[in-house]
Formats: sequence, C-alpha cells, structure tokens
Amino acid sequence: MRRLLPVVAVMALMAIFGFGIYSVLGTLKSSRHHTTKPTQSQALIDLPGTVVVVQDGKIYRLNSLKFTPVKAPAYDWVQVEPAPGGDILAVAYSSAYTNVYLLNAKGQVVRELLSESSSQYLNNHWAYYPKVSPDGKTLFYAADWLDPSQGYNVDFQIQAVPFANPSAYPVVWSQAGLWFQGGDVEPIPLANGGIIYAKYNIDTLGNTYAQLVYVSSPYATPDSLTTAAQDCAEPALSPSGTEIAMVCTKNSLQSTTLQVASWNGTTLGTPVVISAGPEPASPTWSPDGKSVLYLNTLLTDKSSPFQLWWVPKATALKPGAPQQVTADLNFTATSPPVWTA
Amino acid sequence: MLVAALLVFGFGLSGVSGVVAYFLPAISAALNITGHQTQGNSPNGNHPTPTPSTTPNQPFNVLLLGSDNDTKFAPDQVLAQTMIVVRVNPQAHSVVMFSIPRDLWVPIGNGGPAKIDTAYADGGAAEAISTVENNFGIPINYWVWIGLGGLVHLVNDLHDVNIVAQMPILDDEYPSDLTGGNPYAYARIAILPGPQRLGGVAALEYARSRHGDILSDIARSQKQQQLLLDIKASAKDVGLADVPTIAGSLGDSLKTDMSITQVTSLLTLAKAFSDGSVQQIVMVGSQYFSNGTIDGQSVLLPNWTGINALVAQYFPS
Repeated sequence: MRRLLPVVAVMALMAIFGFGIYSVLGTLKSSRHHTTKPTQSQALIDLPGTVVVVQDGKIYRLNSLKFTPVKAPAYDWVQVEPAPGGDILAVAYSSAYTNVYLLNAKGQVVRELLSESSSQYLNNHWAYYPKVSPDGKTLFYAADWLDPSQGYNVDFQIQAVPFANPSAYPVVWSQAGLWFQGGDVEPIPLANGGIIYAKYNIDTLGNTYAQLVYVSSPYATPDSLTTAAQDCAEPALSPSGTEIAMVCTKNSLQSTTLQVASWNGTTLGTPVVISAGPEPASPTWSPDGKSVLYLNTLLTDKSSPFQLWWVPKATALKPGAPQQVTADLNFTATSPPVWTA
Repeated sequence: MLVAALLVFGFGLSGVSGVVAYFLPAISAALNITGHQTQGNSPNGNHPTPTPSTTPNQPFNVLLLGSDNDTKFAPDQVLAQTMIVVRVNPQAHSVVMFSIPRDLWVPIGNGGPAKIDTAYADGGAAEAISTVENNFGIPINYWVWIGLGGLVHLVNDLHDVNIVAQMPILDDEYPSDLTGGNPYAYARIAILPGPQRLGGVAALEYARSRHGDILSDIARSQKQQQLLLDIKASAKDVGLADVPTIAGSLGDSLKTDMSITQVTSLLTLAKAFSDGSVQQIVMVGSQYFSNGTIDGQSVLLPNWTGINALVAQYFPS
C-alpha cells in the first residue's frame, strides 16, 4: 500500500500535467484586440471638458481620464449628438427601426423626439444623425424614404422638424431615392439657415462615392463642395464655422483619411490631411476649435477596434500629429464623440 | 534509471494527450472541411475535376463559391449566388479577384443554357468548375464553398471585422432566413456608411443585401470582394491555438478540395499579400453583358468580346 501511494500520486501529477498542457494551449489563443468596458479603462490623455461616446449600445462620459456610464434607459444606443443646454441627442436602435431621444446630462429622457410610431407622415423607420440648428429651433436628421414607384428603392433623405414640436409634418430637404444610391446623410445645420450634408451617388462605372454638398433651403439645387474623386463624407463644422473636418476614402474603400479644409460659407479651401489612416472616422471639434477628436484603429493594425484619437491644433494651416487617447476600448465608429467644455 | 525513463515517458504521454485533446476538434473539423472530392450530382456526368497546381510558385486559380444554404433549399442543391475566381501569383505576390455575376446566362456543364448560379445546384463543384472553365477559359485548380452560417461564424470567431461601408445600406426586404423560423420571411436592415466594426450577422448583411443598390448583384460582388479583404486583414494574427475554435464553428458551412497542407500553405501565402497587391475585378456595363428576360427570368446576356478581353488581361495562359 505504501509503495502504491507514490505511484498514484505520480499518475495524478501526470494527469494534472496533461490537463495543464491543454489549458495552456487555450491561453495561447490570439489575445489580439482584447477590449474592455470603458469603466474598466482609463484615457491616456487628459482632454479638457467632457466627451460622450458610445460603446456596445451604452453611453459613457469621459472626464479627467475616467469613463463613467451615462445612466440612460436600457436601450441599444448607437449614436449621440450634442443638444442645447448640455443635453444629448441619442439614437436608440431596435431590430427594424430607430428612435431619437433627448437626454439630460444624467441620462434621463427629457422627451422622445422621433419614433417609428410617429412615422405616419413619410412612412420612415430609421432616423440617424440628429442635429439641432444653431438657433435651437429645428431638428435635422436623415430618414429612410421608400420610393412608392419602385418597391425596393429605399434611400436616406434629409428631413427637418421643429425641435419644440418634432411630431409635426417633416420638411424634406433633399431629393434622394432616385437611384438606389444610399441617399443623403449627416446633415450639418448652418447659422445662415442652410445645411451641409453628405450625398451618396454612383457613377456610370458602378463606383459609389460621397460628396459634401450645401443647400440654402429645402429642395434647392445642392452645390457640391467636394468632388466625386475625393469621396468625402462625415462633415464636422468647427465652432467658429470657418473649418470643416471630413473623412475621405482611399485605396478602393479599404481605408480612409481625415482631412480639414477652410470654409467661407460657399466653398471649401484645399484640404489638409490630418490623419492619414488606417480608418479615421466620425470627427468632432473641441469646444475651442483648436483640435479634432475622432475614432480610428491602431495605426499599425487596421483590423483593430476603434479607439479615440486626437489631433491638437488641427487647423488646415498647422496640423499636429495624431495622439492616441484610448488603447483597449471598442467604440462605435459611426457615432461621433460629443465634446463639451 | 528505469524509474526516470518511466516518469519521462509518462509525463510525455500525458502532455501529448493534452495536445491531442485540444486539437482533436480542429483535426476532425479540418478533415471534414478539406480534401473533398470534386463530385457532381448531375445526371449528365462527365465533369472534369480541377487540376491541382503542382509546380511551386506558379500562379493558380481558386473558385470561391458562396451559397444561400438556408432551409429553402435541399442541402445538396443550393445555388452558388457568389462565384469569385481568385488568381494567386505566389512569385509576383499578386492576387486577382474576378466576380462572375450569378444571373449570367451561359451553357451549364453538359446541358443547356441557364443562369450560372444553377451550375453548383445541378452538379456540385464539378459542374460549377466545368461551367467556368468552358465559358471563360479559366482553368480552375481548387475550389472552396462557404455557406451563410459559415461566413457569420468565421467573422465572429475573428472577433469582428472592420469595413469602410461604401454607402448607406437600406433594405426593407432582406431575407431573415438565418434568424427567423420562416426562410421566406423578410427583415428591414440599415447599415450606416463609413468606417465601422461589424459582427458576423452585420457583415453578412453588408455583403448580401442587394435591394438598395441600382447595381444589385454587381454591387453585391464589389462588397463581397471588399469583405474578403477585410476578413483577410482580421485573420492575419490567427494562431495555431485559435484553429480548434474556428474550425469547429465552421462545421458543414465550409468545404474545399484542397488538402490541409495546401490550405495551410495558402493561409501563409495570404499573410504576405498587402491590399495593394490585390486587384478587384467586377464586370459593370454593356461591354460585358446586357439585361434580358428568358423564360420569365431576369438574366444577364454575356458579351463575350468584352469578357474574353478582360479574362485575357487578368488570366493570361
């Protein structure tokens, strides 16, 4: 019996060793792209003011290097935009539609602005990119429009409703839906009453492209601000209203650049690339207008999740070097960060 | 001495057992996925089999087949809605991806004319290969077939993929055959434009939706090629220890006639290619085909002058 005991012990050790090998192999799975919740992470740069971002359907506030959750209702939040008085416009996704809410700084619903149940006027189901006009009177957004003459043809168009009465009949600002090209998105209301937005189109060779366009009033003929070859979208207007940041594609749609151009109210100046890749997205200006915050992958790994990046002194004349703000998060790249003082 | 030898042997055996236990699912799945014989199920028979590339570093062609293998179809009779010929030139480190529209009206195998996507349903990989070889004059060395669920699992196992969506994708009649109980049901989907990270289901929606684009299947081919490159980018860091998970989840959704060794070589080769070395070819316009209606079906009637010129340019013999 005494001699058997060491043998059993050694055999048990062997079994443990074999199981250990099995377990160790499991740990060798690629740990690439390990991400965490923002509340378990910390920013690498202390940005002034407050930044609001979206990750995995939840809204977070970044302040003094730390992320805290915005305690909004448990919807699947997919976009945030700034609203007057420090409130937040937030888009909640459902399986077949979106609703747009006005949240206060604590995340409480101030009111529901757009909902599928109130889409009886234009039969739209999706509303994205909500923006309040500088005078605070009008809510612009991109909504789907189904062409009644061609059943499959559904494209985004820009609509607007009174911010105080969003259930009013919408004013249609852009004539999309003619060519199945995706339509018009990302409206930027201007102080002069016009808007800039991104118009998607398709050329005779089947190439899809986006252009920034300007319209002074609903249904006015849009003026192109960028060319088809530039393929630019996701415009962000600086607080001074004199510069526009935008995202332009390159390399057969596999990557993008972030560019800044001066804006004089009618035309764009020559753009300057402030982030050359791999996939900068969703820029937003700092409250002082001296830098741009945006989302991008790691510079050396275009397949990595999207992190916050920052370009200080991001003027067209003096672009700085991009600086990484977060390292291990997974932000929703189609939601521009909201940055308030 | 004997005790020491027994101990070494025992621990060695235990370690090997641990390794075998870990990789057993991968080995089983890999055997299930690879080395498929190129058989057809058509009564016509007489299908050629692909000619494996035997000379190292010589260019070779792989026919990628993608199917809606939901419950609308019998498992062995699914259409190949996606047909992409990939030419790999190991020496030049270049790749050509050439999409064949599914509605192209061509002679199928040894039978009469039909949409090219029916070739795989009629006669499996063999008939799909013979149809491509006979009509386009492109020799096929290997084939790979993937089903809808396979693509979803692959992207999920890679922990999602980054894409730059080329336009907003709105589709009110996207097939909800994977998620719902009814394979004929529709769902409404919306994918925003621009850079973003997509999981398996959303990546499939991006590559599969066609209703919201004037170019329909042609645009879908462009997006499928784009997604392939994005998957390649995400797969570059996949290690040996990841293989059991990925191989296990692919199950019956992936098949190829390549051997495990050939797949491994191809994956190693793929890591060496940059996006800039990949040429994406999608036929658009009347120089390649015209729209027509045959037997009540919307079809694409080939313009072989234009197509042959394109093939000669990118697939030199």
